[in-house]
Amino acid sequence: MMADTLTSVQLAGRAHARRHWIQIALSYIPLIVVSLLILVPLIWMVSTSFKGRQEFYSATASLIPLHPTLINYRYVLTQLGYLPIYLRNSFIVTVSTVVLVSLLSALAGYAFARLRFRGRDLIFLALVLSIFIPNVGGLMSLYELMSFLGLRNSLIGLILYFSSALPVPIFIMRQGFLSVPRELEESALVDGAGWLRVFWSVALPIAFNALVLVMILTFVGVWGDFLVTFILVDQDLNMTISVGAQKVLVMPYATTITPGFAGLFTTEAANAAVLLLASAPVVLVYLVLQRWFMRGLTEGALKF
Amino acid sequence: MEHRASPGPSASSTLRAFLAEMRGVRRESWGNPLGYLFIAPALILYLVFNFWVLIRGFLMAFTNYRFLVPNSNWSWNGLRNYELMLRDRFFAASLIISAKYIVMVLPSIIILALVVALMIHQVPRGAGFFRWLVYLPVILPISVSMLMWQQLYNSKYGYIDSLLRDLGVANPPDWLGDAHYALASIALASVWRSFGFPTLLFLVGLYNISKDLYEAASIDGASGIQQLWHITLPLLRPTFALVLVLQIGLLYGTQEVLLLTNGGPADATKTVGFYIYSVAFSEGDLRLGYAAAMSLVVGLFMSIFTALTLRVLRGEPA
Repeated sequence: MMADTLTSVQLAGRAHARRHWIQIALSYIPLIVVSLLILVPLIWMVSTSFKGRQEFYSATASLIPLHPTLINYRYVLTQLGYLPIYLRNSFIVTVSTVVLVSLLSALAGYAFARLRFRGRDLIFLALVLSIFIPNVGGLMSLYELMSFLGLRNSLIGLILYFSSALPVPIFIMRQGFLSVPRELEESALVDGAGWLRVFWSVALPIAFNALVLVMILTFVGVWGDFLVTFILVDQDLNMTISVGAQKVLVMPYATTITPGFAGLFTTEAANAAVLLLASAPVVLVYLVLQRWFMRGLTEGALKF
Repeated sequence: MEHRASPGPSASSTLRAFLAEMRGVRRESWGNPLGYLFIAPALILYLVFNFWVLIRGFLMAFTNYRFLVPNSNWSWNGLRNYELMLRDRFFAASLIISAKYIVMVLPSIIILALVVALMIHQVPRGAGFFRWLVYLPVILPISVSMLMWQQLYNSKYGYIDSLLRDLGVANPPDWLGDAHYALASIALASVWRSFGFPTLLFLVGLYNISKDLYEAASIDGASGIQQLWHITLPLLRPTFALVLVLQIGLLYGTQEVLLLTNGGPADATKTVGFYIYSVAFSEGDLRLGYAAAMSLVVGLFMSIFTALTLRVLRGEPA
């Protein structure tokens, strides 16, 4: 009855719409394939970390754990003495560096954007210029310097070094402050507020986006650093998780002799649990702050 | 907006501004002394732990500094390190391995990133999700992603070989343990980890191309492929340059190798970065001077590559 009343034009339109719909669906297929290529290794790691010994050794590898268990996490968190220390060290180093970099780059960025003093632009340009100089031999000279200062194998050494990577954060903060309307600050100055006060309660809140970007970049960079920490730190007490993750790898015999865990877990699954714990903070930050990430990365990256 | 995917302050323009400022600075008044106070903490930290390390790294490349030999820090030896390097067959071998490695990694990253960016660019919905996903491997700590791949490659219980066995392959390869496959396996892990950032850069490039160009081209009857070839790719040239310059450092391969194979099997994965690392930090009396010299030479290679890339692809005197 309905079909009778449809004109041929309408029919053609429907067919067209269907074809269009199919086309759209097809356009997603290659992307979904790529997404799977990205996701399968990650899913495999996550799922392995929830597999018990029996399931791990079963003949067919399934991507989803059929009998999920927390035994691997229980094992690595209670039996691997250094793992909590590595995690704690990572937190100390990362949080301290983020605080230090934010504070120093905000202060300097503000001065470069707003305060007039002799040599301001010269110093700023020198900092930007230094970004382009390849850091050859940097690892060797850093090793020498840290040995000389007695800061090898020290969290403070790591914090100081990571916090000294300031040119890019200063650049970002300066851009942020430049976008603050001048009138706002000037009226505050006229009202008798000092520069420090203007910086802290007028300019900084408006340049907040830039600050968040600096914090994110620093957080991800420091938490994930491998090479510098690997070279500077060789004592377990001062190691961070990104380097410790490799060392913490569970001894195979542990799976058969550890009281309470013997025969219940596997080395591989325990390792997967370690890796998951090591990446959880950055993934969490990435999930929560993805909006900033995307904007900051695409903008920030193109400034250099 | 004008099409502009190239980095803002280029090295050459910054240098010109810097030189101009050097002449102008004497005419400036002292101004607000608070400025120095604000920049002082940042500047001191930067000078000690960053700038000094930069300068000293360069100077060290002309010394015979061996960490375990007392007072050898400043034992200048002129160009001896470079003579030594010419005869160092391990260095030559590591350069060849790095060359193979970068030839595997760089084109794969560029093609994959470009294709994925084009795909994300043309979906009507969900681009945000795919952008997020593509960048996920980049934010993972490198040790996590490499150790994860190490497990995937495990010949007994790794997912790849389990899958291959399920598919009927009788003896799947030991990816990291076999000298034929080890370097390519590291390259694959590295591509997986690194292609997300170039993808975002290409996407920004694509977003910046004006839609009018495509409309005009379709009116003229240009097909999709023709549009890609004559509009998209030429306009993405600055992005290609940026990606090449930002990713060439992958040739060191230091962290990837340290985490996945430690140079083995049979030295098949001793990339130049790994060789420099072992000379400096794990072999003999820790020859920091020689290692710095090698890294100076590699840095020089990379600078030349960067300059050429920028000149060819961006048409600017680098």
